[in-house]
Amino acid sequence: MAEQGILYGIRVLTLEQVHALPWGTGFLADLGADVIRVESPDHLQDRKVGPFPGGTPGEEWWNEAGNMVYYGARNKRSLCMDVTNPKGKEIFLKLVEKADIVTDNFRPGTMQRFGFDHESLSAVNPRIITLSSTAYGYTGPWRRAGSRARTVDAACGLSYLTGYEGGPSQRASPNYMDHSVGNNVAYALLLALYQRARTGQGMRVDLTMLETGVSAVGPAILEAQRGITRDRLGCAHWWKAPHNVYPARGDDRWIVIVVSSGTEWESLKRAMGGPQWAEGAKFGTALARWHHRHELDELIGSWTSQHDDLELARRLQELGIAAGSAMTAQDLLNDPHLRERGYMWEFSNPQAPAVGSRFFAGRPYRDPGNPMSIAKVAGLGQDNAAILAELAGLSPAEIGELESEGVVFGAPRPDEPRP
Amino acid sequence: MPGILSELRVLELTNRPSGAYCAKLLADQGADTIKVEPPGWGDQARHEPPFLDEVPHPDRGTSYLAFNTNKRGITLDVEQAEGRELFERLATAADIIIDSYAPGRLAELGLGYELLSQSNPGLILVSITYFGQDGPYADYQGDDLVAQAMGGYLYAVTGSASQPPMGTALQQMEITAARNGAVAVMAALLRREQSGKGTHIDVSTMEAAVSTPSGLIHPYTYTGRNPHRGGSDGNVMDGMHLPTLDGEVTLTTAGTGGRPMEAWAEFLEEPGLLDSKFASRAGRMEHWEELHRLVAPKLAQWSNLDLMRESMARGLVVGLVQTPQQVVESPHLEERGFFVEMDHAGAGPLKYPGSGFFIDGENAMASERPAPRLGEHNVEILCGELGLTIRELGLLRAARVI
Repeated sequence: MAEQGILYGIRVLTLEQVHALPWGTGFLADLGADVIRVESPDHLQDRKVGPFPGGTPGEEWWNEAGNMVYYGARNKRSLCMDVTNPKGKEIFLKLVEKADIVTDNFRPGTMQRFGFDHESLSAVNPRIITLSSTAYGYTGPWRRAGSRARTVDAACGLSYLTGYEGGPSQRASPNYMDHSVGNNVAYALLLALYQRARTGQGMRVDLTMLETGVSAVGPAILEAQRGITRDRLGCAHWWKAPHNVYPARGDDRWIVIVVSSGTEWESLKRAMGGPQWAEGAKFGTALARWHHRHELDELIGSWTSQHDDLELARRLQELGIAAGSAMTAQDLLNDPHLRERGYMWEFSNPQAPAVGSRFFAGRPYRDPGNPMSIAKVAGLGQDNAAILAELAGLSPAEIGELESEGVVFGAPRPDEPRP
Repeated sequence: MPGILSELRVLELTNRPSGAYCAKLLADQGADTIKVEPPGWGDQARHEPPFLDEVPHPDRGTSYLAFNTNKRGITLDVEQAEGRELFERLATAADIIIDSYAPGRLAELGLGYELLSQSNPGLILVSITYFGQDGPYADYQGDDLVAQAMGGYLYAVTGSASQPPMGTALQQMEITAARNGAVAVMAALLRREQSGKGTHIDVSTMEAAVSTPSGLIHPYTYTGRNPHRGGSDGNVMDGMHLPTLDGEVTLTTAGTGGRPMEAWAEFLEEPGLLDSKFASRAGRMEHWEELHRLVAPKLAQWSNLDLMRESMARGLVVGLVQTPQQVVESPHLEERGFFVEMDHAGAGPLKYPGSGFFIDGENAMASERPAPRLGEHNVEILCGELGLTIRELGLLRAARVI
């Protein structure tokens, strides 16, 4: 699929680590771009983070991590080269001549130290698009600060707004920010390509996690300017009741039920077998239900706890009530809906035969014009020779020399600690 | 500089935050985006609290205002034949239509992709629904919480291990589905440049939730263990929120050269942190309450911005748990020029968040106009572009078509 993708002919050089940027360039790789992951032999953390089969890294651990399939190296090529070595730098700049996009997620300053800042690269290739994906951006007093996705979950306001009802703030997710930034990276890069097709000009993109996060909490940003504070509500809602997560039969099983109208409330009452407590003024109107929602949640919970969540959700949905089981990963893998939609992708990586065949979450949209799948997953330095010959014009002898000089690597250094 | 998408016409026919936000992403890059709302009531988000200045008003719902920047707005009842006919005429000249109708409903109305693409083969139709266009759940009802639940996010990500699942605030699954839709649109536009052909894109919010965390699925298929919520429980150095003088902060062990307790003992001037029982992550988790008693009083002496500045100077990595108010007043965002100010006739002047990226040093967010009032551009579009007379507009209004 990748060979015929819409971005066939577009080349991306990416100096990327961790999650956000690899997730973003992963979209371009899935769409057929030649995404070359330029990996440093001194920073193999992404290949160490796993998950590994059975939790145990194998003999060729550097090619076995599940994250590398899910986003790190899927449909990408790998060039493992030390770009801080003068020869590595020279080769990188040669590759830039034949590239369309260069992306990085170093802290501001690092690319300049390498000699890879936008001005230097556009001197080599005026049509180059560069994108730096950072926590706080290239300007402003926080530009030098380090980050994790969860520290930006905090800084953008999302963590403060998240929490159990009446409880303290809690982070929303350890890595949701990575994902939304990755999506924003893909969007910005596709916009840049679209623009360049019109103007012929390269461009510079300064994309930040903080700002992507703030753009996702817009309503609260507007409210804050007028002195409105948002209470934390857990799974409850500003105006809907019932709207919560309820216990189901079994250990740590849960069901979500959402009622948005009087008709749906009547349906829910019927599903519950028309209990006496549900009649009368206390729960008779949307307003009354919202005022008495804690008591209502208790009563609904004592009913749901007698039922299997998957079965009950199906029954409620048949009555037109928005309900859903709090699915585990295992539930999702067995889910008939996702199965029928072909959502999960099964892949067996020839670069990591010990891993065998595994399932992965697929892409959350379908476009018959731009189908996506996993065609390959790059092993560490797997494409060194092909890239260096094809794009830098090096002979096999020259490539061999670079290997023995410690500029390019086909495997981790012998003394590299195992994960 | 005109926005990158300024040559494109987008029609938004949605009643869900995901559809509105997807259209907003395109509108914020300059696309001429027309929000098509049902006459009289309009987008449901207009009627959902909280409202600016507390009083309910269709122009003051904060979700509505936040998710509809840079759009024009018309009213049109596509359930009526005359409304449908007008929509079809707009669709003939549109590049992109975003809809969130139940699967099959647009086709029932005679506005399905098959039909619209006959007169407009380059049309890109994006259908964003909770469960997608096909499959056993296609007709299920949903909302953001249902998507969090059925997408596996609720069970696995937010909240504490010892408590029930807990949702992430502010409809993040809707926003994630919208972001996926915008990526899909851009890829489809690039294809259309080559082939001239449009497409029908099927975006599922449930699937957006499954894909969102760093994958729930492969950690399970690799290890046999279900990812489970509670990663910040008892995690003083790497996840909990800790009080400061004027807010909260979350610490990390990053940037400490592999010697986190030495670095933090020095920074907080608390030698108790050097106790060997805190040396490993497992030890810190086991003795977390004791660790908390050492760390919390020290942090409580710092104000947020001082703590950020000083920890940054030492290469330590922290996250301020900022309130929306602190975000609005952030000196960092101020210096970067992140917020875009627009004055809404019904809601007044407000600072809106930008798109999250700057192109060639410029904020990439358009500031063309704030969210439209209900039917604000009826005359401009229906008369000015489709050629209706003012008299006809009146007749359509009386018939509740517009």
